[in-house]
Amino acid sequence: MLSCEGADFTKVLKRYDIEQQVVLSPEEMARKMLPSDEIFRKVAEEVLYMRFRTVGPVVMEALKQRNPLDIINNGLVAGMECVAKLYAEHVYYLPEIMMAAKTMEIGIALAEKQVPGGRESKGTVIMHAAEGDPHDIGKNIAAVMVRSSGYNVIDMGRDVPIVDFIAKVEEEKPIFASGTALMTTTMSAFPTEAKILKEKGIEIPLMGCGGAVNREFANSYDLGIYSEKAPQTPLIAEKIRQGYDWKRIREEWDEIVKGE
Amino acid sequence: MAVTRYTSMAYDSADDMVFGFAKKPVSYGFGLKIGAGYVIPEINYAPRPGTEKDPAKLRKEYVDYITKDVLDRAVTVGFPNVQLETEWVSQMNQAKLSAPVVEGQKEMCEKYHEEYGVNCGTRQTIPDQREADHGLRTGMDAAHQYPEKLFECAEIACENGADNLSCETVGGKEFADYAVTNGDIIAFLFGVGYLGSIDMTYVWQEFSEIAKKNMCVAGGDTNCSGANVAMFMAGGMMDQDVQKTFSAVTRAISAARTLAAWESGAMGPDKDCGYEGPIVKAIAGKPCAQEGKNCQCAHCDLQGNLIAQCCDLWSNESVEYHPEFGGSSVQCWFGSIGYESALMNTAIQLKQEKTLRDLYMYTDRTRGPEAYVLAYDHAYEIGKVIAQDGNDLYLRAKNAGLKAAYILLKGYESKELGLTAKQLDTLQDINKKLSALPDDADKFVDYAIKEFKDTVPNFNMKNYDL
Repeated sequence: MLSCEGADFTKVLKRYDIEQQVVLSPEEMARKMLPSDEIFRKVAEEVLYMRFRTVGPVVMEALKQRNPLDIINNGLVAGMECVAKLYAEHVYYLPEIMMAAKTMEIGIALAEKQVPGGRESKGTVIMHAAEGDPHDIGKNIAAVMVRSSGYNVIDMGRDVPIVDFIAKVEEEKPIFASGTALMTTTMSAFPTEAKILKEKGIEIPLMGCGGAVNREFANSYDLGIYSEKAPQTPLIAEKIRQGYDWKRIREEWDEIVKGE
Repeated sequence: MAVTRYTSMAYDSADDMVFGFAKKPVSYGFGLKIGAGYVIPEINYAPRPGTEKDPAKLRKEYVDYITKDVLDRAVTVGFPNVQLETEWVSQMNQAKLSAPVVEGQKEMCEKYHEEYGVNCGTRQTIPDQREADHGLRTGMDAAHQYPEKLFECAEIACENGADNLSCETVGGKEFADYAVTNGDIIAFLFGVGYLGSIDMTYVWQEFSEIAKKNMCVAGGDTNCSGANVAMFMAGGMMDQDVQKTFSAVTRAISAARTLAAWESGAMGPDKDCGYEGPIVKAIAGKPCAQEGKNCQCAHCDLQGNLIAQCCDLWSNESVEYHPEFGGSSVQCWFGSIGYESALMNTAIQLKQEKTLRDLYMYTDRTRGPEAYVLAYDHAYEIGKVIAQDGNDLYLRAKNAGLKAAYILLKGYESKELGLTAKQLDTLQDINKKLSALPDDADKFVDYAIKEFKDTVPNFNMKNYDL
C-alpha cells in the first residue's frame, strides 16, 4: 500500500457532518419544549425518550387525574412535537422518530378508549405503493409521520392495483392520497389514477413520491402534487386540511416545505 | 446444484487484490473475459416510461435504440469491450415482453462483434417480485405466484440468449426494512445475515441449474434491498436519517449473504450495486462489478473512487434512456465508464495498477465509515472472519458485523477516521449488542424469533423453510 505519510487529506475532502454536528443532548434541547404541567410532562417524556414499554402505565396513571383528550394532545402529541423538532435539528434521527411514534401510538390507543365516541382525527389519508412496485420503505416512514401528526392513515401496502386504489378512495373519501414508486415504469400508475379520479369527479390532491418520481413528473397531470421527503408530507397535509387544493399546493410548494 | 461454503480466502493478502484481475476469471458472450487482466465497462439503462406497455415498443427501445447506441459509441470512441446490463422492468415477467428483448440484444451484440470485433455481451437481471407477506417459496403465493415467476424469468432469460444471469433477490428484506428504519442491528443480522443467506442459497441453486442447462453463466447477486437501503438513507454528509456507522456494519453483514449465491453455483461477476464486492471477492476470487463515481446519473455515495479499487466491471448503475447534448444518455454514461475503465487498463499496462488502486482508495478512505470498512485492507479482514466460520451462516455474518465495528472503533481511536458523537454512540451500541450474542446459531435463532415475531411486519419463518 502506498504510504500516505505527510498527506493532508483536508485538501481532498471535508467532513461537514463532523464540523456541523449539533452537540446538545436531547435532554438539553427538550427542556424548554416540554409541557410545564407535571403530569403532561411526564407523559410527553415517555414519547420523547421512546419508552414504549412503560408508556402504558404512565398514561393509565395520568388518566386518573387528567381527561384523556388532554393527555393525548398536551402529553403524547406534545412529546411527539418535541421529537419532530429534535429530528429537524439533527439531534434525533429516523430510528428515534419510529420508536417515538410507536410509543405515542401505544399511549393514544389507551387514552382513546376513554374518549366517548373516540378521538376525531384531522382527516383520512390513503397511502400506497404503485401497482407493480414492491418498494415501500419510504411510504412506511411517511405513514408514521402523517399518523403521528394526527391523521387517520389507511396504508394499502405495496404493488396496489389501480382499481383497488380507486375503490378505496371512493369508499373512504380521504382529504388526499399518496403513491410511491421507485421505478419509472410503475410511476405511470399515478397519472392513470388521477385521470380516473377526475373522471369520477373526485378532485383530491394525489401526491406522487418515491425515488423515481420528481416534481416535474408529479406536476405533469391534474391532481398531482409532489413530496420529496417523508417529513414534507405532514406539512403538505396540514395545508390540505386548511383547504388548499392541488393547484395551490403546487403554487406554494416551496414555501410549504421550506426547511424540510 | 451442490452448495460449497467458503472456508478460506482466495487471496493470500489484501495487497494481491486489484482491479481487472480475479483469481477465477469468467468468459462469456462474444469475446468477453471478466477479471482476466482488464476492466470492462458495464452500461445499465432503463427504458422510457410507457414503452413497457407494448412488446414491439419495448424491444425497439432496448435493442434498436439502447443496445445499438451503446455499441455504436464503443466503435466511435474505440472501446474494445462492453457489457450491457438489462435490469428487467417488472412487466418483463411476461415472456412476450422479455424474450424479444433478450434475443434482440444477443443478435445486435453478435452483429457488432462480427463487423467490428467489439467484445460484448449481456447481463440479464431478472426481477424478484416476491413479497414476504404472500410467501417467498414456490407454492406459497396464491395471489401472484411471484416465486414461480422468478424462476420462469430465469428460464426465459437463459433460453433466449442471456450471457450472464443475475438477480437482486429480496430474501430478508422485511427484516432489513424494519432494521434500517428502527436502527436495529440484530434484526438486520437475523434477516439479512442469516435468513437472507438461506433464501439466497435456495434461489441460486435453482438459478445455477437453469443457467447451466442453457449454457449461460450464473452471475451473482447483491444486497441492494438491505445494505443499499441503509446506505442511501444514511445519505450524504448532512443527511444521516440512518447513522453511517450503522450502514457500514450492515454492509459487512450483507457480504455474508451475497457470498451465498457464489456458494450455490454462481460464477460471477456479481451485481454492480453490491458495494460489498471487495469483501466477497477477497473470499471467493470471483470477479465483481462495482459502481461509484461514474454512476452519478443514478445516485451519490461516499466512496465513488474507492470502490473502483478491486472491480472487474465498472458500471454506471442505471440511466433512463433520453437525449443529452453528447448523444443519448446511454452513450454519454458509457463514455464516462468507458474512459474510466481505459484509465485502469492503462495503469495495468504500465504496471501501475496498484498505485492507481491506492489513489482511488485513499481519496475516499476517511470520507465516511462505509468507505472505511470497504477499503481493500479492511474488506480483506472482514472476509477472513466470514471464511473462518464459513459453514455457519449465522456466525459468519455476526463475525462480519463485529469485525466492521472493531475496524471502525480502532480507526476512530487512532484518529484516522472521524466520527460524529451520534455515529460513535450508534457504533458503540452496535458493538455491545453484537458482542452479547451467543455463538450458537440455534440459540440465536430461538432468541430472534421471540424478539421479532411480534415486531417485524410480515414475519413468517416458512419463507425460509424454518
